[in-house]
Amino acid sequence: MSSVVFFVAAIGVLAGAIGVVVLANPFYSVLALVAHLISLAALFLLLRAEFVAAAQVVVYAGAVMVLYVFVVAYVGGQDQPVRSSGPGLRLIAALFGAALLCELWIAVIGSSLKSLTEHGAPYTPGFGSPSQIGQLLLTRFLEPFEVASFLLLVAAVGAVILARRRRGLGDEDEERLPGFPAISVAEVLSGRVPTGSMAEAAGLGYEVGESAAGTRRQARGGW
Amino acid sequence: MNALLAVAQIKGPHLDWAGLSPLIALLGGAVTVLLLGLLRNRLVRRICVPLLTMLVLAAAAGLSIWRWHHAATLVSGALRVDDLSLLLGLVAIAAAAACVLLSLRAAAPAVAGEGEYHALLLSTVSGMVVLLAAQNFVTLFLGFELLSIPLYVLCGSELRRRGSLESGLKYLIVGSVGSATLLYGLALIYGATGSTDFSGVAAALSSGSLASDPLLLTGVALTAAGLCFKCSVAPFHQWTPDVYQGAPTPITAFQAVATKAAAFGIFLRLFDGALINAQPSWGPILAALAAITIIVGNVGALGQSSLKRMLAYSSVAQAGYMLGGVLVSTRLGLQATVFYLAIYLFMNMAAFAVIVARERETGEGDDIAGMVGLGSSRPLLAWPMTLAMLSLAGIPATAGFIGKVYLIDALVDGGYAWLAVVLVVGSMISLAYYLRVVAAMWMRPSAGVAGARPIMAGGSAEAPTATRLSGLEVSVVAALFGAATLVFGIVPSPLLSLARDAGKALTGIF
Repeated sequence: MSSVVFFVAAIGVLAGAIGVVVLANPFYSVLALVAHLISLAALFLLLRAEFVAAAQVVVYAGAVMVLYVFVVAYVGGQDQPVRSSGPGLRLIAALFGAALLCELWIAVIGSSLKSLTEHGAPYTPGFGSPSQIGQLLLTRFLEPFEVASFLLLVAAVGAVILARRRRGLGDEDEERLPGFPAISVAEVLSGRVPTGSMAEAAGLGYEVGESAAGTRRQARGGW
Repeated sequence: MNALLAVAQIKGPHLDWAGLSPLIALLGGAVTVLLLGLLRNRLVRRICVPLLTMLVLAAAAGLSIWRWHHAATLVSGALRVDDLSLLLGLVAIAAAAACVLLSLRAAAPAVAGEGEYHALLLSTVSGMVVLLAAQNFVTLFLGFELLSIPLYVLCGSELRRRGSLESGLKYLIVGSVGSATLLYGLALIYGATGSTDFSGVAAALSSGSLASDPLLLTGVALTAAGLCFKCSVAPFHQWTPDVYQGAPTPITAFQAVATKAAAFGIFLRLFDGALINAQPSWGPILAALAAITIIVGNVGALGQSSLKRMLAYSSVAQAGYMLGGVLVSTRLGLQATVFYLAIYLFMNMAAFAVIVARERETGEGDDIAGMVGLGSSRPLLAWPMTLAMLSLAGIPATAGFIGKVYLIDALVDGGYAWLAVVLVVGSMISLAYYLRVVAAMWMRPSAGVAGARPIMAGGSAEAPTATRLSGLEVSVVAALFGAATLVFGIVPSPLLSLARDAGKALTGIF
């Protein structure tokens, strides 16, 4: 039974992964990625990693994929085909991919991995269960856990900084300040250089029109 | 019920707050700086935020010095704070402090927001501290990401300049490929050895024939490739010139020095610590990579007219020199690498500080034309640049000479004399482009007038502002690090003894 599930899921994983790169329409690529991730979750279940399987479905197949779909719908991929690299580049890419595949096969087959022909490492009940993972995160891996939380904060701050660029792109400052030496202290003082904070960047997005942005700058000129 | 009671009795790991204190100072400081940056007052943002950042860095440096000689394994074996991690951490902290000074009047913090800019700088330093002290693969990878992600944003932080955004995007894509490769390699090493701890990997490799296992070697190769991306070792260096040129110059200076220190620190810890028993397998391959890197970097730098691109290729070559110290896997090699990373801070920072000054004073950007006639017009900037160039080339009486002698000694001692020859040949090639900068500064005095003309043509109203913007702090950074290059070239013994202490941190090598 488990081998049947394994082969079904493995075929799903491979087909999904191939579909992501082969399909020309980005929307289908995203759907293939969803199929790939769900099949992967089935493989995790076979390995009795229920928590990883659940996280895979909820986080990746759920939340992250919704974001992907949003981006694809927002940018609209159909008029621009994804594949546009030259034939030479594709040949080299195929060669490198084949070389890497050979290397990995040699590594896997020639290794001392005993699980290829046997039933793998012994399974102790409770291994990989949510309670055990939680316990490890608060004991042995406490430090990585805390660092990961900080990493998420840093990523959010970085995303806000980069997202703020949108507001500045369309306005007249872009033409006036093409390079770095042209931004002077005087212009920083008069508020021409965006000096907003995180809250502002989150609150005032795309919709703020040219005129609204202009009045806002004037209103802020006082400080 | 019993199960509930058993769960309730689980105790968290013992926290050695003293050992963790430099990291806590950096992380807490990053959050405080971020919050302070939210205040809209111009005085707070332009002055208090950099000041607080400097205070945080000073606190972290002071706490690191306090922990010197107090080696400890922290948080149930996740981190090992010893002299090696502390010394390289101090290099990163010093580079960050110089970066804060250099960006005082730069455009990038004003565009990205002072609080966010400096908070990201502090978080990337804390990522380096985590990475340098990592004792298992999970900590290693998280430290690697905490180092990288803020740097991607910082490289693109001059949001209105196309080059900066291009730099950030390229660094993000190439860096992500490097991270993925590293992660794949770490997973394969885990598969082969059954342990994510460095000590467990070392123990698994010390017994039996696992050291020549194909799965392990594939993992080691992928891990090395991932780390080589970060150290910009050829052939994984192609991103370096574009990213260095496009990023805001203070950030370029920081990442050239600090990223190398952190990446080579973990290279030493992983390869000369956990994977030491597989050294016969990976040593020759890394030696070949080092030789390629030295040649590619030095030849690539020859044709560059942009100083930042030139220093990028030079940093590729220097990475090749330092890789030599890693691959011999001797205590001497470890000490030589650590020493070279420390002096690399001085010479690179001096050079980049002068570039920052000239970028602001002339309209030439970072082109070598901006250096023409500097010797007669601005000797205070010309001397640090000269010292930095001579030191990078390895001329006697500069710190670079001592560092190279140390590395060559380690290479010959470790049985890689041919690589030492490559290193010397590479240094000879490098003289061509380093001396070109020196010659431009001192041997063409008449160009001082010509250099001033573009500013006048650009608009006379802007010219006085632009000249004043260069700032005292940039000259101070240049003079300080230039002087250090000279001082440690003549009296290297204090730094040598520090490197010797750091070299004692790893126990598996001789």
